[in-house]
Amino acid sequence: MTGRVYAGIDVGSLSSEAVLVGDDGVLEYAIRNTGANPQRAARNCLEEALNRAGINEKAISAIIATGYGRIRVPFAQKQVTEITCHARGAHFLFPGTRTVVDIGGQDSKVITLDDGGRVTDFMMNDKCAAGTGRFLEVMAAALETELTDMGRRSLQAKKGVPISSMCTVFAESEVISLIAEGYHEREIIRGLHEAICRRIFRMTKRLKIKEDITFSGGVAKNQGIAEILKSLFKTPINIPEEPQIVGALGAALYARDMVLKER
Amino acid sequence: MWNKNNTSDLLKWLVHHPMTYRCLRPLLELLHIREDNAAYKTWIRFLLDITHNAYLGERPVIWMNAFAPSEIAYGLRAVPFMPEIIASLVAYFGQSRGPIALADSQASTDLCSFYRCALGLVLDDYLPRPDLIISSSHLCDGANKFFHHLSQIYGCPHLMLDPPYNDGASSRQYMISQLKDTFGKTCELLDLSLDQERLSEALNLSNQARGYMEKLNRLRRSSPSPLPGSEGLSYLAGMSFYSLGSRWGVDFFKSLYHHLQDRIAKGQGYLPREKYRLLWLHHIRPYYKNEIFEILAEREAAVSFEEANYLYWPTLDSSDPWGALTAKILSNVWAGPLERRIAAIWKMVKEYRIDGVIHFSHWGCRHSCGGAGVIGDLLKERRIPYIVLPGDGADADNYSPGQTRTRLEALMEMLG
Repeated sequence: MTGRVYAGIDVGSLSSEAVLVGDDGVLEYAIRNTGANPQRAARNCLEEALNRAGINEKAISAIIATGYGRIRVPFAQKQVTEITCHARGAHFLFPGTRTVVDIGGQDSKVITLDDGGRVTDFMMNDKCAAGTGRFLEVMAAALETELTDMGRRSLQAKKGVPISSMCTVFAESEVISLIAEGYHEREIIRGLHEAICRRIFRMTKRLKIKEDITFSGGVAKNQGIAEILKSLFKTPINIPEEPQIVGALGAALYARDMVLKER
Repeated sequence: MWNKNNTSDLLKWLVHHPMTYRCLRPLLELLHIREDNAAYKTWIRFLLDITHNAYLGERPVIWMNAFAPSEIAYGLRAVPFMPEIIASLVAYFGQSRGPIALADSQASTDLCSFYRCALGLVLDDYLPRPDLIISSSHLCDGANKFFHHLSQIYGCPHLMLDPPYNDGASSRQYMISQLKDTFGKTCELLDLSLDQERLSEALNLSNQARGYMEKLNRLRRSSPSPLPGSEGLSYLAGMSFYSLGSRWGVDFFKSLYHHLQDRIAKGQGYLPREKYRLLWLHHIRPYYKNEIFEILAEREAAVSFEEANYLYWPTLDSSDPWGALTAKILSNVWAGPLERRIAAIWKMVKEYRIDGVIHFSHWGCRHSCGGAGVIGDLLKERRIPYIVLPGDGADADNYSPGQTRTRLEALMEMLG
């Protein structure tokens, strides 16, 4: 490995990601569960990415941490919010991006950016975890299905069962009642996805959003949600190959900017 | 044997005993709190004095909400008591959870947490009994209902002011007649004589304080910002609600003016280095322990001014007290048409050379968050970064540290 290496670490409530970038782009990444110790998760993630890339940690020129656990990464030189990092990462992957929809483990955000990838405005959900990755996890458990399979099953449904509760606890009870009433799982999943997407769509209405729209965060892996969002926005949506690392990628790019600015 | 109930009874006895506040004053002087800021000491002395008088019961105690004109109470030589201010102090000392939990047995959890905290204190019998309650609805319609509830608990009369939405000749006439009626009924109910001279004196004192407020606000345009926004939203805003019409108000604003003059002369800002100047919208902040102002300070962002301290009312004509108080009430920028509030916000942005705006959105307070979207659109159009910061002023259980930090830091990142 020649040239400089820069690292971005996104410590989220459910998962942590580390991305290594060089002067020419992404070198490697790793994703791990955050668990109870964000500092350890950040360290493990970084080490995994370094091992995969065959790079020694000493080769890293700068590390920037982002995500809710960003202040728990003592080996990072700087912290930048996930709002700014998702905007930067999405803009790097899809330079036409002017709006980012990020649905992570415990919150969802809509971010608008200018043509340079800088944040111009944002909205995020309140402290309630409705419509986030954690919400989907709880619903998957209630339905005794795999989280990763929810998207596929949702696409199989012709229509969704309306879900009225968005409170995670109440929605879980509602899902159990719907199962008892004999509704098919795939229709319930589709209903849950529609409820989440309506919530996100309402958030976008409060901002002056522009195309292109890029969907980031772990929930963007759910094809069912992506399809509903596309139909609500009436426009194609960019989905990165690995949407979960967009925040960490943005952080790594900021680490690179920071070093280049200092030189 | 001493037990928890004995401690609680002792505490209640101490809280109710007027001498407690007399004894606290020299004790607090001994602690040398904020030696550098005479205004802060005046605020503490004022609170001790007014609480002493409220429990002493020698003069009638009138409970009022924060926007009812305090000049009425001072003009009658009555003791004004503002439960919202007390609730913010209780929250500041980290004691609001208990009263709020107690109030939740009788009130909707959607009711403003300041009122819930006050209701809990009432139910637990910590507050001085009112002889009369006067409330005004011009910012909060819920206030009249809440104070009506309190009047039922205490079995005391409740008078309501209902300021109209728009200013104008007919609105003024309507408001003047309400104020006259309220003042007359207050005299009748409390067996007080209507003394026009005393009322004029209260208005004159209010004007004197206003004069210092005006000068003080002008001083706060200087850079670096001389007064922390957290203080602008606590004792400074508290005194502008509570002390106007009293000698305390004049002394407080005069000493704060001199304090800031001194700081500015020495080139002292409240932050070691000031990179951004922010404006705080809404007349309150979270009073319980939180990190908001520390997060901003870490990023060298000063809250240079607060909407709470915007001087919206004209000098009061003491020869026409009803007309003067009407003008004060009807010019309130938080009540009435949103255009007026927007114009005031833009004036503050320009006068205080504001880089970014934080609109605190207190749960349960509709008058402010109702306009948050329109205000945001205007500021963003004019390229002033703006965020809405949802939260709660008195209920610490509604504070979300991670989300709050992310929102504030994202604002800083937008500022560049």
